[in-house]
Amino acid sequence: MRGQDDKPAGLSRRGLFLGAAALGGTFATAGQAAETGKVAPDAMPDPDQRRYAFYGTGPQAGISTPPQQHLMAMAFDLTGTDPRALQVLLARWSASIGLMMEGQPVGPVEPDRAAATALETGEALGLGPAGLTVTVGLGPRVFSTEMGLAAKAPPHLRPLADLPSDALRPEISGGDLSLQACADDPQVAYHAVRILARIAKRTGAATVRWTQLGFGRASAGAGQETPRNLFGYRDGTRNITTPEQLAQHVWANDGPEWQHGGTYQVMRRIEMHIENWDNAQVSHQNDVFGRHKLTGAPLTGTDEFDTPDFKAKNAQGEPVIPRHAHIRLAAHETNEGIRILRRGYNFTGGLNAVGRLDAGLFFISYQNDPAHFEALQRRLGASDLLNEYISHTGSGLFWVPPAAQKGSYIGAPLFAGV
Amino acid sequence: MNMSPRARRRAIPLLAATALFAQPALADAPTNNGAAQVAITLTGENGGACVLDHDSAAAGPITFTVTNESAPAISELELLSDSRILGEKENLAPGLPASSFTVTLDGGDYRIYCPGAAEDTVAFTVTGESKQRAQSAIGDLLDEGTAGYANYVEGMVGAMVTASERLAAKVDEGDVEGAKAAYAQARPFYERIEPDVEGFVLPGTDPTDNSGNLDYLIDMRASNLDPAVGWHGFHAVERDLFEKGEITDETKAYAAELVKNVKMLADLSGGIEYRPEDLANGAAALLEEVQSGKISGEEEAYSHIDLVDFAANIEGAHQAFAFLEPGLKRIDPDVAETIAQRFADVQTMLEDYRDPDALGGYKIYDAELRKSDAVKLSRAIQMLQEPLSRIAEKVATAS
Repeated sequence: MRGQDDKPAGLSRRGLFLGAAALGGTFATAGQAAETGKVAPDAMPDPDQRRYAFYGTGPQAGISTPPQQHLMAMAFDLTGTDPRALQVLLARWSASIGLMMEGQPVGPVEPDRAAATALETGEALGLGPAGLTVTVGLGPRVFSTEMGLAAKAPPHLRPLADLPSDALRPEISGGDLSLQACADDPQVAYHAVRILARIAKRTGAATVRWTQLGFGRASAGAGQETPRNLFGYRDGTRNITTPEQLAQHVWANDGPEWQHGGTYQVMRRIEMHIENWDNAQVSHQNDVFGRHKLTGAPLTGTDEFDTPDFKAKNAQGEPVIPRHAHIRLAAHETNEGIRILRRGYNFTGGLNAVGRLDAGLFFISYQNDPAHFEALQRRLGASDLLNEYISHTGSGLFWVPPAAQKGSYIGAPLFAGV
Repeated sequence: MNMSPRARRRAIPLLAATALFAQPALADAPTNNGAAQVAITLTGENGGACVLDHDSAAAGPITFTVTNESAPAISELELLSDSRILGEKENLAPGLPASSFTVTLDGGDYRIYCPGAAEDTVAFTVTGESKQRAQSAIGDLLDEGTAGYANYVEGMVGAMVTASERLAAKVDEGDVEGAKAAYAQARPFYERIEPDVEGFVLPGTDPTDNSGNLDYLIDMRASNLDPAVGWHGFHAVERDLFEKGEITDETKAYAAELVKNVKMLADLSGGIEYRPEDLANGAAALLEEVQSGKISGEEEAYSHIDLVDFAANIEGAHQAFAFLEPGLKRIDPDVAETIAQRFADVQTMLEDYRDPDALGGYKIYDAELRKSDAVKLSRAIQMLQEPLSRIAEKVATAS
């Protein structure tokens, strides 16, 4: 569906891999050491064998690595205030994620002892790593005084502010820990979260609070074709992808050194009123987004990647891109340069309580200050034309520590001296 | 439907795994600070492995230093002699600092047990002077527990006969309100011991035929109604009393038949001998009952006294555990303590639902309460289910 003169040649797997490799060495093939980060495109194994490195010195995988096809997200509540319990949980989670991202089981599937209950549940055996990444986030309450970790709090971590148009449901909001598991095989993503939830239960450190399955990526990483959301529009055309942009807008470097390479994760469950949208005229839909549905081009352009001209007026003297169009309100040009990395997924939960389609966008963004998301959402929530067709029903804010180094675990510096 | 009391799996003895494990002979561990030093490393390779740097040491103090390098499935380690735990380490997670324990051992054969490892048992030999080792009393403690539990079940069945007769009497009088109260009083007895008494089939009937299934005849629900066999037992009476609000001749027939079947159950269940793992599995099954039938409100669809059954399931599970506890404390004191604490937590939580004015003494579990509290109730049970599900293995292999 893209114009023939698109800069990145129509997306091939080769292109995708090159993009991934260019992104900072978090990608490796089955046959190569994960640390090398160098990928020979011709040596590409099948997608099931695609894999990313869990251990490293930079950010966690699953943020700037190219979005996979499927998401399984889960949030947990801590059951107590003993930092030692959280430490054991994070250590066991980290080692498990490390194994699963390699396509390995976390333990024996069929233990010798007939009465034993195995940790490894087995449903992902033989599926390969399938590009699995699991990204671990810590909620504001982790850094409470009761936990004894207040002194370790990242500078900007706090609950998200109340935002206009929020219709949040507490049971699908908040949480003390988050897991974002992404893979190209949904069963691999589900297995990962299931195992990690099982460890949480076994350690007794945390219980599941909410969960969300995403079935199609709704954001593009570097070199990926811009996907469409469930409203049929390309979303995230202007997403940030380059290492320079990531360094400027995503990686947090204003806390203590061990926090550098961390970032703030916003998760929002945005329900779409599908039936209403589908009955809206396409010209109105175009005005809502400020783009043409088919090409994804801004209303002032002909190609998806044309820069929107927010000043352009039509014959009646009205802006070609309406004042409250989504792309105008979300654009960095109109937001003092604020940009965030979007990494969302489409979702469906079947039918809702009143018999309509329960579906929408599970929005995930990363930024080096949650105030940046709040600033954007304050504008959007107040006057976005899209608001007529969406509701924000779930919300969470988590701090994502940097990756763990081999032999250690995510968040280890938190527990030094505790 | 759970397993009948007579059809249970046998646990494979620990020794079988030991014999399969062939570790190359290594030298005696070196001594440092007056104790032999043995390093144990847990790795995630090959499905999880528990590796000793020395597989023998001279009799005397021995320090075991455990490091979990990369094995998320292995979180604990025990040093065993027979079934006795001589030393152990828990919460072993990859990346955490090494931890150690020191024990003084006589000559003999020992085992390092690493649950979660692909081969979970490693032999360890202590050489030198071997003294007479005391026989484990764990088996005796567990035997006492199973005998005590058998008495408990017998007591519950006896009380159920009395309570069912009282229910039938109120039904015969045509006293709807009195019968409702009697119903709520009779229910907990069955719910405390259900996994132990639900496997009986009447003589001369096929096991798959519900008309000969005593559990069906006593405790069938609308959700598992077999149209060929129809309504029977407690829930048939419940339906008439709470949904129809009236007592008919049919109700009286249901109540009379219930008494007859409960008496038959008392006859059949007398003299069952339990093994320790039966108690553990029974306790776990009762928690599953809570999760599958009570939290959903399915069990008491008309009277909504599900929380009465919930409390009874918990009490029955707690009793089974309590009879195992003296033995389990010797096998694995930490797990015993964890489970005891979580039972206490659940019981504390249940206090919030007490309502002396409600039938059976607990709040009516209506749609509103279900909506607001089902998740909380389910989570509390999950926290208990997880450690409880692991004790069957421990007591089965210890006795």
